[in-house]
Amino acid sequence: MKNVRIWFKKDFECRYISHLDLNRTMLRALHKSKIPIWHTEGFNPHPFATFPLPLSLGFRGVNECMDVRLEDDDYSFEEISKKLNACLPRGIRVFNVTEAVMKAGKVAFASFTIHLSLDNKPSGLICQQLNDLLEQDSILIEKKSKKGMKTVDIKPGIKSYSVTEKFDSACLEIVLSAGSSDNVNPNLIISALEQKTGAEYNVDVTRNDLYNSDMEPFR
Amino acid sequence: MVSKEVEKFLLKVQKPGRYVGGELNEVIKNKRDVEVRFAFCFPDTYEVGMSHLGMKILYSQFNSVPYIWCERVFAPWIDMEEEMVKRHIPLYALESGDPLSDFDFIGFTLQYELSFSNMLNMLKLGGVPIKTADRTDELKQIVVAGGPCACNPEPIAEFVDIFFIGEGEEVDLEVIELFRECKAQGKTKREFLRLCADIQGVYVPSLYDVDYNSDGTIKSFTPRDGAPAVIHKRVMTDMDSSYYPDNFVVPLVEIVHDRAVQEIFRGCIRGCRFCQAGFIYRPVREKSPDTINAQCHALCENTGYDEVSLSSLSSSDYSQIVPLLEKLTSWTSDEKVSISLPSLRVDGFTDEIMNKIKTVRKSGLTFAPEAGSQRMRDVINKNVQHDELMQTCATAFAGGWTTVKLYFMIGLPTETMDDVADIAHLGQAVVDTYYNTPNHAKGKSVRVTVSASSFVPKPFTPFQWEPQDDIPTLHEKQKHIIESIRSKKIQFNYHDADTSFLEAVFARGDRKLCRVMELACERGFHFDGWADCFSLQKWLALFEECGIDPAFYANRRRSFDEILPWDHIDYGVKKSFLISECQKAYENQTTPHCRLKCSNCGAAKYGRGVCFEKRQNLV
Ligand code: SF4
Repeated sequence: MKNVRIWFKKDFECRYISHLDLNRTMLRALHKSKIPIWHTEGFNPHPFATFPLPLSLGFRGVNECMDVRLEDDDYSFEEISKKLNACLPRGIRVFNVTEAVMKAGKVAFASFTIHLSLDNKPSGLICQQLNDLLEQDSILIEKKSKKGMKTVDIKPGIKSYSVTEKFDSACLEIVLSAGSSDNVNPNLIISALEQKTGAEYNVDVTRNDLYNSDMEPFR
Repeated sequence: MVSKEVEKFLLKVQKPGRYVGGELNEVIKNKRDVEVRFAFCFPDTYEVGMSHLGMKILYSQFNSVPYIWCERVFAPWIDMEEEMVKRHIPLYALESGDPLSDFDFIGFTLQYELSFSNMLNMLKLGGVPIKTADRTDELKQIVVAGGPCACNPEPIAEFVDIFFIGEGEEVDLEVIELFRECKAQGKTKREFLRLCADIQGVYVPSLYDVDYNSDGTIKSFTPRDGAPAVIHKRVMTDMDSSYYPDNFVVPLVEIVHDRAVQEIFRGCIRGCRFCQAGFIYRPVREKSPDTINAQCHALCENTGYDEVSLSSLSSSDYSQIVPLLEKLTSWTSDEKVSISLPSLRVDGFTDEIMNKIKTVRKSGLTFAPEAGSQRMRDVINKNVQHDELMQTCATAFAGGWTTVKLYFMIGLPTETMDDVADIAHLGQAVVDTYYNTPNHAKGKSVRVTVSASSFVPKPFTPFQWEPQDDIPTLHEKQKHIIESIRSKKIQFNYHDADTSFLEAVFARGDRKLCRVMELACERGFHFDGWADCFSLQKWLALFEECGIDPAFYANRRRSFDEILPWDHIDYGVKKSFLISECQKAYENQTTPHCRLKCSNCGAAKYGRGVCFEKRQNLV
């Protein structure tokens, strides 16, 4: 039995499905592919897979991963890619299979590219708005929690960022805290911006890479 | 495929994965390489439509023909519709993203009357004129419809160019082939439709004139241009050689029935007198265990589904159920596939079957006695005996089950308040059976859910002449059940009588209702099958505006010699048989099912199926 990390992109139509739907799609593809991976036991056995860091509905993911346990240690990684891609919808493409080097819980940061635009507004203006927001000492937002709404400061969760003006959008490259404890979802930044400016942006979010707490790429 | 324009707002709507396509096994063709483009429309949400077996069969079958590209279209949910209208984005097909108005054929499957408003709304959203008369005479935008509600097409006759009567697998392709020829010959739509009417199973409503008596009933129904006076349904005669897909589109988002589905037979031997499906799909025709087994296996392989559901109107009536389950279980456990067997009858719940399908989870056990008293069950020809039901429940309780759901109908012909109270009493008897079963689950109490829906008289059933109880009477009966329940272990649910009433109006309506439908579309009616949108008050206002009394359709007793709006359509069952069944109902007399005895309903004329089985080893 070997822990294997399957790397894939989630884009196009599949960008619009939730993590739960992705999970179901993956399990079905694993089942169809007949790759010898470990199944849960009990009444209704199904392939066992876990995701180190779920991706929100609407985001593109270019370096996403899923962990499975391979029952046959000699099974080729290339075979896994090939078989799985034949069983997946076109919006999900496996591009690499590796051993799981780091534990899933080690994910601490994630980098994103966020394009923002407004119909009939210059992208320079949006860049300015972004800088104004992110330069603040604290960025307070209302967040739903178990005990109703609470105000949190997301500024500490922003590791680094840069804003560049593109032809038809403002482009924000940002590294945010990720993982189970201090997760900052880019949607929080966008809603903070929308609260501040009162505008509703066209948004396109891509998650690029995951990192551990030392900012080493997650492997 | 989803356009840039749509992507701009897709994240603003609920469950955007419904509007993008891109699923595994979706069929993409190059539109320049095909001659016929068919938009298969399901007038409900993606989740409901994608669960529908008929759509899966026809989608695969059309696309297996190289010159046809069949795509899928579903009704956008309210939030999506609003955004689309605001941005002037027409309703589009999931595969190409092209608007509905671009298609040669726009086909609807009509599963329930309350989806009529969605059908018209979808045409409107797709930029297609809703009325036949207002559409182009060029050979495009041909609106076709099939499915159980097509058996009385009259309330939507002014909107649909062609109705498919009966089973679609062959007739659809014949019509498409004719279209291709007509197009090559430069014919108009009018000419094409006239030629279509000669194909068996095709009804072109624009070729018929209807005259009415002063009391609103039909005086005459006259074909024009030599169109056939009677339209005969189509029947697939050999189920083993009938087209069945080896592949389904596997949705990205969760749908209502997210599993492989395998049809095991068509029709039903039982002949319950309220049940339209039991008459319009006659005669029963089975697939062989080998065919079913092979098709199940291919489906699981190609989709990755780990559950396959055996579909029919009454699974346990499949004559070779045990050999079939044996074949299936020879590979399903190795491949970690489970089998489910819905629509089991009370008397089909045998240990032998149960041991083969371990998938009936301990949580759900459902039965449909339909009526509380034995007399009432005899009236509707539901041959379920009280003791049999109790025996089955006792077996299940001994096996660890603790919840039972019972389905009933109220408002059935000849029903008295005592019959109604017996629904509660039957629930009580199930509770008592639990406590009288010595080895029931230790320390657990039983939960019995009693659900009552309102009877809707349907065309082509022995009750097609019957009045529906009016809404106050139905409410009174619901109340009477509640008052008759003595035990806290029984939970009572009932269906909204308002929707049943509207269903009854459209189920047995005539062409005068087209005006109401047209107005409903103008006023933006949609999703009437959903409590979120349905309002009887709004419908009543429309009826009033059109000068139409809906009770004329729902609550009036019709005489056996009245010309019914659907009398020109022949589903194989003779009207005289339906009349005799209705009269037997009044006398509390049952009719044996097709395997016990042929009652000469007329469906034997198709030369196949149960009518020709040897009746020796009777069950
Ligand atoms: S002809 Fe006889 S056997 Fe055939 S469907 Fe009718 S009643 Fe049943």
